[in-house]
Amino acid sequence: MQSGLMTTYQNPTQNRNGLAWGLSALLMAFYVDLYFTDHLDTVASALHLPSKWTFYGLIYTLAMCIGGWFMLRKHGNSAYHRWRTISLVAVQSVLGFLLPLVLDFLGRPSYYFSYFFPLKYDILFPGTLKDMPVAVACWFVFGSLVGVPTLVYFQGKRAYCSWICGCGGLAETFGDPWRHLSDRSDRAWRIEQVSIYTVLALVLVMLGLVVGDAYAADGSAIRDLAGHTKSFYGFAIGSVFSGVLGTGLYPLMGSRFWCRFGCPMAAILGLIQKFGQFRITVKKDMCISCGNCSAYCEMGIDVRAYAMAGTDIRRASCVGCGLCAHVCPRGVLKLETRAALGPHGKIEVWTLDL
Amino acid sequence: MTQPPHFVIVGNSVAGIEAAIALRKRDAAARITVISSEHPHPFARTSLMYVFCGQLSLKDTQFYPEDLYDRLRFVRVVGRVRSIDPARRTLHLTGGQTIAYDTLLLAVGSTAKRLPWPGLYDETPMFVHHFVTLEDMRGLDAAARPGMSVAVIGGGLVGIEVAEVLHLRGLRTHFLVREPAYFPIALDSAESEVVAAHIRQHGVDCRTNASVTAYRKEGGRVSLVGTSGPLDRPVDRPLELSVDLVVGAIGVTPATSWLAGSGIAVSPDTGGIETLPNLESTTAPGVFAAGDCAQVTWIDGSRRPEQLWYTARDQGRVAAAAMLGDDVNYRRGTWYNSAKFFDVEYTTAGFIPYSAGSAALESASPGSTSGGTSGCGGWQTWYQHVPGGPVTQRIVVRDGAVKGFNALGSRWDHQVWKRWIAERRPLGWVLAHMNEARFDEELVAPFRILPTATLVDGA
Repeated sequence: MQSGLMTTYQNPTQNRNGLAWGLSALLMAFYVDLYFTDHLDTVASALHLPSKWTFYGLIYTLAMCIGGWFMLRKHGNSAYHRWRTISLVAVQSVLGFLLPLVLDFLGRPSYYFSYFFPLKYDILFPGTLKDMPVAVACWFVFGSLVGVPTLVYFQGKRAYCSWICGCGGLAETFGDPWRHLSDRSDRAWRIEQVSIYTVLALVLVMLGLVVGDAYAADGSAIRDLAGHTKSFYGFAIGSVFSGVLGTGLYPLMGSRFWCRFGCPMAAILGLIQKFGQFRITVKKDMCISCGNCSAYCEMGIDVRAYAMAGTDIRRASCVGCGLCAHVCPRGVLKLETRAALGPHGKIEVWTLDL
Repeated sequence: MTQPPHFVIVGNSVAGIEAAIALRKRDAAARITVISSEHPHPFARTSLMYVFCGQLSLKDTQFYPEDLYDRLRFVRVVGRVRSIDPARRTLHLTGGQTIAYDTLLLAVGSTAKRLPWPGLYDETPMFVHHFVTLEDMRGLDAAARPGMSVAVIGGGLVGIEVAEVLHLRGLRTHFLVREPAYFPIALDSAESEVVAAHIRQHGVDCRTNASVTAYRKEGGRVSLVGTSGPLDRPVDRPLELSVDLVVGAIGVTPATSWLAGSGIAVSPDTGGIETLPNLESTTAPGVFAAGDCAQVTWIDGSRRPEQLWYTARDQGRVAAAAMLGDDVNYRRGTWYNSAKFFDVEYTTAGFIPYSAGSAALESASPGSTSGGTSGCGGWQTWYQHVPGGPVTQRIVVRDGAVKGFNALGSRWDHQVWKRWIAERRPLGWVLAHMNEARFDEELVAPFRILPTATLVDGA
């Protein structure tokens, strides 16, 4: 069933026009207000919520529930999309909202158990870990260094990015109507490779500095540097890139702007995926070049080029949302995990140097 | 130093552009000119329905990047060829331009077959549409308004696509199928009924046995008169439909009428350009044909055009090799195809006898399931309908070896099926291994043999 998609370009908010720009500006204004003013604290206290972050969590979860409902209406005929959407909404509702809220009401420190390093960039800072109960600290260390990477090796990045992650969850539900707006040009691909690995390098340098700082003497230069790096990263990447732009640009640049160009977690998991067991298998000689797969790839991958070439897809950026396979009118694509590597590689025409 | 050869390709859809790319890969120096009047960039005609309804933009359907011509140094000519002089190896464009070629590829595709009712196009041109070219699509797009009623004539793949998008746009859609069942060329009566029920479930008025014998112009509308419906219920048979639009989807015909008198032989039956096995014209050396406009040899030995996307691509590549002087022939391997009827996907491979399954199934007695290969030329048909949805599988067998597969509502790798056919696998082995050919999304229940599955003599 694709009837939910069939009028995509006729919906004014999905067409990168004035309305979309306005919507984008509104979303960005909301995030600026959230991150850089205390205005929403008053809203939160009027609603008897502990802080503006709880209020934000409430809106976020509601947006995912409503977006998830629409997602299920469009693609719920597919078991893969049904379970994926339910998983994302459930993880956000329980681990991303209700549990922290309950912990807070009980007067306990609250944790978001579904976020790991490096997406949650301060979770492995020695100071952060020291303040946690041992079991909680173990959960985050194990999850960041062993659990999620292992899962991704066997199941692909999708296991985290399209089944668990809150950021991915918002993109897959609330952001779904704009997935076709991801830039598919070669240029965007080149920019993506530079920007995402820059953020990854930055987060690793920051962790190194902060760990170094934990063992450094008072007044050492590393302390200042670590402090500056933390505040720069928190502002530029944590607030502006992932929040203001990451969500604010949904109606203009597609739903995975942050995941594609910025998320350091996506960068690491992508490298693991590249050497792991996940791929999109292409049924040879059945592609009719229609373009649905490429158009609805939220990561801007030119899926059709692989489908036309009959080449299996193993791209670091693929979050395994599965929409390409679902919208293909000829069933040419199949997400799968397999130990044996089939032939895969580059797309022929692009490598032609004539 | 001799000048590099000049390859000219008329038509920039899949056959033409694949040939151009194949030529460039082999010959870095050649001059390659691509002439097209439809659109400056190759686009996927297969997505016209998606562009019409708004699921894709036209740009989304361009299957190569817009700088392809620059990257591969193709000379783009936007225009329509008026005539060819194969003796002088020159082309004349409608604008008066003349282009000389060394080797020519005609990949001009096809246009919609016109509805056969005399005077229709003269008297009611604004009501009658087709859905093959970009121009067709734009014409229908401008004419089709929500609330109108439309008759889609023709029970094939384009017909069902256009019925789907017109219905989605909010037109009252009547889908008139001449045959007793939908798409009998590929589906048997049981499969066809599954599809027809699905079409009706979507709210489209699907009528089989529909034959329009006359039309009347009534102000701003057209009235279609004829018969339709089950042959055994004559009371319900008279058909009278008053509609705002008529869409003719009764097939396509090679766009070759302009070649008359050029010396390039065209089949009087099909309109396809007569070709040698290497796709060169039988009468004009240096002229090749590929795609919808080329007359090729089918696996059953018949000569006709093969109007499919994937074979157009293959023909373009073979023609390019032949144009470079390679000793190649175009050979169609085992038949395969796929389609989508509203939400129901369809995959087929191998030999599914034309329209035969229905008759065989109806005549077969229930006790014949163990009948071995006796009678009916050694053919047998295995079939099951998975309850709860439009999901069916059919396998035809001859002399103990599988020959063809038809599946609705689930996805299959036709390459695996083709291999099994080539390996002459027996039905029992194939049924035990069916899940290896499965290509559905994850979390879909595996294939299993239901107690209701039947095996009958005949195909």
